[in-house]
Amino acid sequence: MYSDLLHALPEVFALTNFLAVIIGVLAGIVVGAMPGLSATMAISVLVPFTFGLEPLVALGLMAGIYNGAMYGGAIPAVLLRIPGTPAAVATTFDGYPMAQKGQGGFALQVAVVSSSIGGIASAFALMLLAPPLSKVTLLFGPAEVFWVAVFGLASIIFLLGGNPVKGLISACFGVFVSVIGSDPIYGNDRFTFGQLELLDGINIVILLVGLYALPPVIDLLETPLKTDSVEGEKLGTEPIWKALPKMKGYWKTWLRGSFIGIWIGILPGAGGSMAAFMSYNEARRSSKKPEDWGQGEPEGVAAAETANNADTASALIPALTLGIPGTAVAAVMLGGLLVHGLQPGPMLFRDNPDVVFGFMWQFLFGAILLVLLGGSLATNSFARLLNLPRPLLGSIIIVLMLIGVYSIHGRMFDVYMMLGFGAVGWVMDKLKFPLPPVVLGLILGAFAEENLRLALRIGRGDWAVLFKNTTSLVLVALTVAVVIGPMLKRRFIDSRKKEGEEA
Amino acid sequence: MSEGHKNRFLRPETLSAVGILVVAAGFLIPTTDLRSISALLPAAMLIGLIILSLLLLLSDQRKAAAGEAPEKVTNSPKRVIGAFCLIVAYAVASDLIGFYISTVIAVPTVAYVFGFRNPLGLAIATAIVVGSIWLIFDFGMSQDFPTGRLWQN
Amino acid sequence: MHKLFQKSALVGAFVLAAGAAVAEYPEKPIEVIVGYSAGGGTDVMARTAAPFIEKYLGDGASLVVKNVPGASGQIGVTEVANADPDGYTLGTFNLPGMMARTIDREADYDRESFTYLANVVNDPNVIVTAKSSGLDTMDKLIAAAKADPGAITVGMSSLGGDDHFMLIKLEGLTESEFTIVPFKGSAPARTALMGGHVAMGILNISEVASFQEELNVLGVATPERSDFAPDLPTLQEQGYDVVNGSMRGFVAPAGLPDDVVAKLDAAFAQLASDPDFLQAMKDTANPVEVVRGDEFKALTSELYDLANQVWQETPWN
Repeated sequence: MYSDLLHALPEVFALTNFLAVIIGVLAGIVVGAMPGLSATMAISVLVPFTFGLEPLVALGLMAGIYNGAMYGGAIPAVLLRIPGTPAAVATTFDGYPMAQKGQGGFALQVAVVSSSIGGIASAFALMLLAPPLSKVTLLFGPAEVFWVAVFGLASIIFLLGGNPVKGLISACFGVFVSVIGSDPIYGNDRFTFGQLELLDGINIVILLVGLYALPPVIDLLETPLKTDSVEGEKLGTEPIWKALPKMKGYWKTWLRGSFIGIWIGILPGAGGSMAAFMSYNEARRSSKKPEDWGQGEPEGVAAAETANNADTASALIPALTLGIPGTAVAAVMLGGLLVHGLQPGPMLFRDNPDVVFGFMWQFLFGAILLVLLGGSLATNSFARLLNLPRPLLGSIIIVLMLIGVYSIHGRMFDVYMMLGFGAVGWVMDKLKFPLPPVVLGLILGAFAEENLRLALRIGRGDWAVLFKNTTSLVLVALTVAVVIGPMLKRRFIDSRKKEGEEA
Repeated sequence: MSEGHKNRFLRPETLSAVGILVVAAGFLIPTTDLRSISALLPAAMLIGLIILSLLLLLSDQRKAAAGEAPEKVTNSPKRVIGAFCLIVAYAVASDLIGFYISTVIAVPTVAYVFGFRNPLGLAIATAIVVGSIWLIFDFGMSQDFPTGRLWQN
Repeated sequence: MHKLFQKSALVGAFVLAAGAAVAEYPEKPIEVIVGYSAGGGTDVMARTAAPFIEKYLGDGASLVVKNVPGASGQIGVTEVANADPDGYTLGTFNLPGMMARTIDREADYDRESFTYLANVVNDPNVIVTAKSSGLDTMDKLIAAAKADPGAITVGMSSLGGDDHFMLIKLEGLTESEFTIVPFKGSAPARTALMGGHVAMGILNISEVASFQEELNVLGVATPERSDFAPDLPTLQEQGYDVVNGSMRGFVAPAGLPDDVVAKLDAAFAQLASDPDFLQAMKDTANPVEVVRGDEFKALTSELYDLANQVWQETPWN
């Protein structure tokens, strides 16, 4: 198998194939950086065109876009607090405070280096470990996947913000939105009120654009004359080789983020946002000064961006070997593969090694190119773009929001829905309801429910099926440890402090 | 505007808590038609929302009783409402008279109304935005945008 | 005014060119509405078939595929049903799904809403079991299901689809009982089978062809062995008389003019025996079985009646 890997390499370096990756990365950064346009949308728009392209050109474009967009999403997340893609939500936590402190340039450099590292790690996992890792996927039946989702949901606790009641309201709202659509088992409608458009559920991009992009746009228009919040001049950009040494302390975060991203990637359904949230939480938990997090800690950006890129190539592991995509983008990419007669499965690696391994190489080169292309060129020009007069910037973002949301299914219904979420989002933003729990609730709520109910059917209604095997029990233990652990630790520290004061 | 004579039931948090309560209770009605296993998660979330919004209501009213001023939501409600209405109008216009016409009108209008008044800048920005959208999406990717429902019939 | 002039000039040109008053169909691009996203099985069928249909329609005909995804194809097929029957809007059609939707949901179309052009793909159901289940023959499987009714869990892609009807046929034939586990799509069902989380699965032949080593493929629900994977035995060979599958084809709105129908029908007839087309379909995992016109309509009616009967006896939602 590894000889096939080397055999595929020369073809990857063919001019058009390599150019496709470069164009893909650039296009991906642009798409990711535009609030409202996501990688899923870009690739699904591209799929019909790939019919006429050579397989490696088409796949190179997709690999490039995927890698580029996962980083591109960080640009507006840092500069405007608008995550460019769903997976960049966690990047806003520390990225935006950094930009406000005048370290926006450094934040973007951390983001691009971390994204690249995550992408490279993920590409290596795909290239070297796809078959054994796909065996891991097989261990996860509905009961186990349910516990993974619960584990993810439990991390909402760390995203609640200052007021737990408001945080929980956000979470309940997100989970409730996730159940709108057809019932996962019976297929009957839930809360669709006869609208066919709602039957497939509410697309994450619609909610994200509404909640995250509309309130800042209104802010841009509300206080028009001051232009100091996006400080292009004070972005603090310096050449990347000077910035690199400052990042050498992040290797643990990079390692952890890569591991989490790869792991989440090979489990079907959860995707980059969950990976980024989890990586952020874990990095904060192990930090020596967790109180700095959320105030502009560069390591927070590193954690989120490593993980959301580390799940790109790894999401293709179950997609290529089993036909089940690990993320929404991988699902669209599967379509792109099918178009070229590349059917997922164990035969794929045997029948089309040059294309499949070439595709993997393209992921690797896409990730490496990210530093070169994203580091200076794209970052600088985008930062300048965001330096436009605020009313103009606002009106351009409005147009992008409409395009992005309309293009998902080609219907205005989604645009109106986005505006509705936007109104809700503005109120939530002003009254300080945290938004991340909504996103996580939407992603994981219905996902947990679906797997719970599949597991219950497998167990013929007996809830004991959820605790039947070791994988489930390990996951339950992990969840408990993550939730209870910090509480105990805090109590322990508090009581220590008290003792200290008394003594 | 003194905070003293403000009605304690018109505090923004109180209003939103009541809003959540009413909407959640409203959504609870259709859950009765569902199978119990199907209704489990949505009903749990709605009941959760009702309880949580009651808690929010209580804590905000307690703050009101203690004489704490509510947090200011916006400095210029007119601008916010205006901005939101313009965005909605743009979406509706795209739907009715077509995406390109609406965008050509909306980009300069929004920017002008909210303070960017340089005519040359407006013209250039509009041309670049609409041009590149057409070039990338329409020409390059043959994506369809709304053509306007008014013209279709 | 300008437009009018243009039109009359165009008409004039046609009259001159053809020497006849009526312009030949097709004189403008034909839109093919696919109810699923680009890259799905139905989309790939439409896009693979499109250039061949263009070729056989002749006269520089062009087909434009438009994806209208949502509500498992219902939004797209409703758009087809409501389109003008002028031959410039065609659509893809899935069986039994599109008919089942008129039963288990409210739908703005019924079986009379379409002109049935041709069914192109027939992807027969297969019965598979997990390697870990030890059930490597049909007889063992049925015996296990009878020994403890409901003990065998069956992974499939959804309720109210071809997999579901297949199981109901099997249950009726063998008087056995299974527990249905409807995943979202067949790939997760197949993965659960490979992991041994469910004992048995009902999938389609295109979905298991490259997984024969990872699963026990017990039988294919066709009267004769499928060309797609000729090494797999049929269920009939083993004494279980069940035939079922998932079908995908092309329809147009009801009331299409006869000359247009004739032209399209001729194109599909030629398509059915084009070796390049058959190879392209094989490469994209689409087992071809072309059924045209009235036969296709009869097939649809038959499947509707089956779905309706199942719904009356055991509604699934």
